Amino acid sequence: MDALIAVMNQVFEISRKLEEEHLSSRFERNFNKLNNIFEEEGFICNNPLGEKYTDARTDCTASIAGAEGRDMVITQVIKPVIYQKKDGALSLVQKGIVIVERKK
Amino acid sequence: MRPVNFGIDLGTTNSLIGRFDNGSVTVYQNPIGHKETLASVVAFRSDRILVGDKAREYMLKDAVNVFGGFKRRMGTDEKYYVVNLDENVTPVQLSAYVLQELQRFVHGGEKPEAAVITIPASFDTMQSNATHTAGREAGLKEVFLLQEPIAASLAYFNQAPGEDHEGCWIVYDLGGGTFDVALVQIKEGEMKVVDHEGNNFLGGLDFDLMIVEQLIVPEIVRQTGIADFETELSTAYGPYEKLYYELLYKAEEAKKELSSYEATEIEFSTTIGDRRYDFNVTIDRAAFNQLLEKRVEETLSMLRQVLERNQLAAADIRQLILVGGSTFIPYVQERLELGTGIPVNKSVDPTTAVAVGAAYYAANKYYTPSVSPVEEHADIGSLLDNIVAAPEQPEEPEVQLVLSYSKMSKEPEEVLLVKVNGNVFNYSYRIVRADGGFDTGFMALKAKFTEFLPLLPGVANVFRLTLYDGQNRELPALGQELTITHGQYSIAGQPLPKDICIEVDDRENHTTKLELVFEKNSILPLKKTLYREISKTIKKGSDDKVIINIQEGDRYARPLSNLTIGCIEIQGKDLKSDLIKGSDIEIQLLLSDNRELSTEVYLVMTGQEFKNVFALSEKCISVARLREQFNDLEAEIRKTVKGFNYEENEIWAIQANSLLDGLLSHKASLHKLKDKERSDKKYVIAEAIGRISQEYDKIGGNERLQQLQAEYLHARDYAEQQLPACDFEQDRLKARFAQLVQNESQVLRTRNPSILQKAIGQLNDLIWEILTNTTSYLIVYFHRLKAAGPDAFTNYGAAQSIVRMADKALEQERFFEFRQHVYNLSHLLHNAQSMAGTTDFKGTGIG
Repeated sequence: MDALIAVMNQVFEISRKLEEEHLSSRFERNFNKLNNIFEEEGFICNNPLGEKYTDARTDCTASIAGAEGRDMVITQVIKPVIYQKKDGALSLVQKGIVIVERKK
Repeated sequence: MRPVNFGIDLGTTNSLIGRFDNGSVTVYQNPIGHKETLASVVAFRSDRILVGDKAREYMLKDAVNVFGGFKRRMGTDEKYYVVNLDENVTPVQLSAYVLQELQRFVHGGEKPEAAVITIPASFDTMQSNATHTAGREAGLKEVFLLQEPIAASLAYFNQAPGEDHEGCWIVYDLGGGTFDVALVQIKEGEMKVVDHEGNNFLGGLDFDLMIVEQLIVPEIVRQTGIADFETELSTAYGPYEKLYYELLYKAEEAKKELSSYEATEIEFSTTIGDRRYDFNVTIDRAAFNQLLEKRVEETLSMLRQVLERNQLAAADIRQLILVGGSTFIPYVQERLELGTGIPVNKSVDPTTAVAVGAAYYAANKYYTPSVSPVEEHADIGSLLDNIVAAPEQPEEPEVQLVLSYSKMSKEPEEVLLVKVNGNVFNYSYRIVRADGGFDTGFMALKAKFTEFLPLLPGVANVFRLTLYDGQNRELPALGQELTITHGQYSIAGQPLPKDICIEVDDRENHTTKLELVFEKNSILPLKKTLYREISKTIKKGSDDKVIINIQEGDRYARPLSNLTIGCIEIQGKDLKSDLIKGSDIEIQLLLSDNRELSTEVYLVMTGQEFKNVFALSEKCISVARLREQFNDLEAEIRKTVKGFNYEENEIWAIQANSLLDGLLSHKASLHKLKDKERSDKKYVIAEAIGRISQEYDKIGGNERLQQLQAEYLHARDYAEQQLPACDFEQDRLKARFAQLVQNESQVLRTRNPSILQKAIGQLNDLIWEILTNTTSYLIVYFHRLKAAGPDAFTNYGAAQSIVRMADKALEQERFFEFRQHVYNLSHLLHNAQSMAGTTDFKGTGIG
């Protein structure tokens, strides 16, 4: 399981780098297929970028940049959130490592 | 009396809980995030109380409401003013929060009533009493204290039972933020901490910061030329604050990697000024060790002080026991070994050693449970005493919760409305999502409140609402569980009336089979992408084709019996280049709310995309596929008729024959059909064949299915019985057997006799293979062949010569060679099994 999670983190990092270079559309199919393979193995990867952040979100470990407030959003994702599906139920196997900021 | 069994490491930075059970200790993991450690931090947010890692996130940004490191203030009269509460909290109260949260790690419904809590060797009586009080405030009926170095030693000694442990030991504890060294002495079976030394601000966090400041920042300065970058980076609310947190995280990861590898890389990108920079900083172990040198030397000097104060030489110390995550660092271990000359013991996990040792100690401590089991021969007096002594249980308040929420939702979050009837004063609640991704923390209970519950997409999200009394004790009777299914409209969507399947090749049986795409009763709309391989090479420009045939009907039926709702043919003429067998094909299927089917087929090798939209009113038929299906059905009915005649099952044989006649009446017109036929003929023929196929499946009804099921089970059992006796290739044959019975439940549930017949056929082939790899059977079989006359063989002379060689091999017990001769002999038989009819199968081209 640990090896697969390490691979998922690498795939996430590659896709993030490609996005920064505006190249991700060329590899969309490949990433969809990789995610499909992970899902077949029972793992679901979620990139929470842009999502609302509250202190009740235990799926992420956050560092707060700037002042903290009620209107926080996730502005950078260092590691994605990974869930494992077992007997139909999901459980968190990797917390996302994120940076959050107040909505601008 | 019962053993305490629970041990708690109440740390300055992190805390853990372990339990002794049946000779070993389990360290519990946090149900949220699955970490063994809990950050010893409490945050009083405006509307809730958070404990642990989540609280730590707010330490820098909400310092007036978030508290960590309070262990150092235990036993003092210091109070922390909480702005959000407008009141003071004591270190004891904060420790109680951490202890309560740790108790939540214990799964299996058990609630600790007593525990051993560890304290640093430096704690005085006031501090120890304060820890005791914190334990009681956290709901523990009895609390036992144990010094951390003793706990760590116990963890080690229990790993090496039977050894003589008399003498002096050093416990070296280098954690995330603190350092302690203790001299432990065992004399005549008594263990005590003789001396200790420590630094409350030295640990792994300092090492992370040093990596950032002394290894990464100089590289940034070198590449960008900004001399005061370090000041800018660490400025609170400064322009590089995000980068600072990213680097701190990456430095910690690099530190961990350097414990296993000689070098590691830290990669990051950032914009400085108007320019974007990509950095790749390589850190090797030597550079990292150099960073640590001074700090590790400080710890060594404290260790030496302890030895000197007690007039001990290194040779007087039995071993050095490591505690704390930072002792994983190879340099720390090396320096300790070389710098002190004392052997370093690495046999216990340094992160859990204290909790494990505390749990071992707890196994030998006893307490009186609140409700003790009625013991045999117990007298009434002692029972009454127990009742009187039983500590009070939290009183169940007279409140009632009324929950309103939508059980199904398409939104990313769903609102929960709770109305509370009764007195809510001093009670709190907490809502946790079962997967661990959401936790409200402790919230004050109000007469009416709402909570926004975030939902994970496409699954049933289970939430648990728990109520607590004024002392934060759980009130189990008032807890409630609620499930919200995401991805479905709260009004019941339109369910799918039948399975939707795709026809794929079954090369082994030279036919096609159905694979389920969307299951009957799934709620529309539905979307799925299938990843398959092309099962035959299709040359560019040829007439060969890939056929994507989407069907509605029973997934266990034969493709012919179902309704085709979408069919795409991709011909060689449509291809940009050859499509090689084994290359990938991606098929995306989307069934809309109004059951309109869209397909998107992508051929990875040629990079071509084919999009189609089908309305269900429009039938799609591939003439090529229809011809092949016709031939399959004809062959199958003929074979069945033969079987029925053999079994003297006249009625079924007559029915099958009449269906065969009906089928054959369409043969001529089917063969006249052109591939791109525009007339209605293909629909007429397809419908007629489909009807015959359905009727054929029904011949014999349940009776035939039951017969076939029995035949299947008989063949399966026989194969299983014979396998252990097999002398050659047993592993391969076992794997084949496992593969054949893998989908047994589906095979036995089918309403389609041909699926059962095929499965029986495959098992019979396997049985034959098993027997021909079993020496005892081969001998019997050989003697039968040997006795056969010249008419039985195609070349009797050659057969005689093989018989002689086989006889010799058998006599000399060369069984492998003997097997080969028997095989060769069997091939000379007139009725040797034919493999004809296997090469002209075209199928759909999808494997």
